[in-house]
Amino acid sequence: MNSIAEIQQKVRNTNQLRITNYEKDCEDELLNMSSYSGVVEYFPEELVITLKAGTTIDEVNKVLSKNNQALAFFSVNSEKTIGSLFATSGAEFSDSVLGVQIINGKGELLNFGGQVMKNVAGYDVSRLLVGSMGRLAIITQISLKILPTKVAMQFQQRPSIKNKESSLRLEIEAKLKKVFDPYGVFI
Amino acid sequence: MSIISELTKALPKNSVISGEENTRPFECDGLSVYKQNPLAVVLPTNIDQIKKVLKICKKNNTPVVTRGAGTGLSGGALPLKDSIVLGLSKLTRILSIDPEGQTAIVEPGVRNIAISEAVEEYGLYYAPDPSSQIACTIGGNVAENSGGVHCLKYGLTVQNIEAVKILTIDGKELLFSRQDEGLGLLALMTGSEGLLGVISEVTVKLTKKPQLAKVIMAGFPSVRECANTVSNIIKMGVIPAGLEMMDKFAIEASEAFAKPGYPLDAEALLLCELDGSDDQVSEDLIKVLEVFSEATSVRVSKNEDERLLFWKGRKSAFPAVGRLSPDYYCMDGTIPKRYLAEVLEKISNLSKKYNLRVANVFHAGDGNLHPLILYDAGQLGELEKAEDFGNDILKICVDMGGSITGEHGVGIEKLDAMCHQYNTAELNVFHQIKAAFDPFSLLNPGKAVPTLHRCAELGNMHVHHGNLPHPELERF
Repeated sequence: MNSIAEIQQKVRNTNQLRITNYEKDCEDELLNMSSYSGVVEYFPEELVITLKAGTTIDEVNKVLSKNNQALAFFSVNSEKTIGSLFATSGAEFSDSVLGVQIINGKGELLNFGGQVMKNVAGYDVSRLLVGSMGRLAIITQISLKILPTKVAMQFQQRPSIKNKESSLRLEIEAKLKKVFDPYGVFI
Repeated sequence: MSIISELTKALPKNSVISGEENTRPFECDGLSVYKQNPLAVVLPTNIDQIKKVLKICKKNNTPVVTRGAGTGLSGGALPLKDSIVLGLSKLTRILSIDPEGQTAIVEPGVRNIAISEAVEEYGLYYAPDPSSQIACTIGGNVAENSGGVHCLKYGLTVQNIEAVKILTIDGKELLFSRQDEGLGLLALMTGSEGLLGVISEVTVKLTKKPQLAKVIMAGFPSVRECANTVSNIIKMGVIPAGLEMMDKFAIEASEAFAKPGYPLDAEALLLCELDGSDDQVSEDLIKVLEVFSEATSVRVSKNEDERLLFWKGRKSAFPAVGRLSPDYYCMDGTIPKRYLAEVLEKISNLSKKYNLRVANVFHAGDGNLHPLILYDAGQLGELEKAEDFGNDILKICVDMGGSITGEHGVGIEKLDAMCHQYNTAELNVFHQIKAAFDPFSLLNPGKAVPTLHRCAELGNMHVHHGNLPHPELERF
């Protein structure tokens, strides 16, 4: 997948889709996002970097280190893509998230948040989707707050123990899935 | 039975306020140009009472506007004619403090500064510090995702809370924590402006007080040089605890009001706070002073009293400007920092166009502008003119890749501007999220997200990344 239009087309033409960042053997129709990668924009003095979802942490680190900057969260496996970390992480990751571009289950391209540190216009959808496991929308692009390496070391948080899900919470999550993916495309 | 008598019966004596005279103190929040008396105001003292209120309101299909201290600046707590105001200012207990884990569990009506005061003995404080911190409540802070002058280094409310308990409109209790698996529901609640649930308890993160803090005050010969210096500080790898900029008008007003010793010959002023260990501060100070070579005057605070004095001018900038005009209108847009000088020039041109004076005060470190538009509400049409001016500024912010609000919220004030920042599909997502939590739209209805109808009426064509909606249509 190399372009937004292609991905949108695939969402519209497929009944069920599993988003992944690597090739694997399975029955489901896969959407491999690993080739949709690269730095979209990087402004060192703004402390902001915007990445396509398939960009690996290694690639990001390489770009940031040239300016003595770093991601403000800890990643155990730097071969992972930023999109997969987004999909599987919690608050320690979402603290760095400033904005996302997504494709919802209807194939619509949507933007939430942006490239600024402060933005309270509308619900915080970009941080809501952190941890959504690819089941609500395709994350195509992510803007992150970054820090000078020395400061980042001070603030880098490790993932912490997770709470069990409650039934009321699952009920809300199911409703929110319908908001983004009304036809149940993303599995 | 009327809803007022139902509420009166269900709650302890003196918990329900009704009648036009009695509800008047609640007719507006910090955005006082909009006023509306509610049906009644209820002031519960515990969570069980809030649940009762919600149950009665749901049964009667009566909207609920939740209110903290009423210091909000976007009309988020403005009552609706047929609504109940649910005031949480009496839930002021600090339930527990964990100095080791650096957290505290507090009720929603606890004031922001009261948290820092309560944990001071452990060398801790609660980092977000909105200007209204002596009055505003933590519940309101969570509802608005409040900021302050230290966000660049220490984050907004969303990064400084550990968990929230909320009550749904059905009175069901939900706990959202940073440790939860699944969607970021804690972040969703933060900044949801009272539309999704009632915040009934907050676990805040506490920060260790820095060993040392110093403020460097520097005057610049032009706004552009001052703005460039902001970027250069960041380029040096320094993250100041606070980085505030003021223009000439704001400098003069603050100096006359608080006498902090600001340089009156400067076109722009920068206040840069450095904090951390003694070594860290000295190291950063050398770097910052190097960057300040363009400054016409530089002073470093010699002691804690002087540091607070330097801040006093900035923190009293709003009332200081307020003395110079019958009314002022405070904006809250954000922009990428690299456009600071450009945006300020545009604001200055608009000021001439509208013939209204404007003072600029902002959190330069995170590109959060607070232009104060001076006007006189007593003069016919001047408020409308000020609002048009403000909306033009917000459009510039969006077009520069920023946002219409950095920390004050949308409330009732920026509904039109929302049509400029988001397209129909995005606004639909917001409406559906609301419906997922509150299907009958009883919690603060009509705030924060404009109806699609409203945006269509405005004729506000949303242009996103240069793409017009429905490009196939001919336009004239």
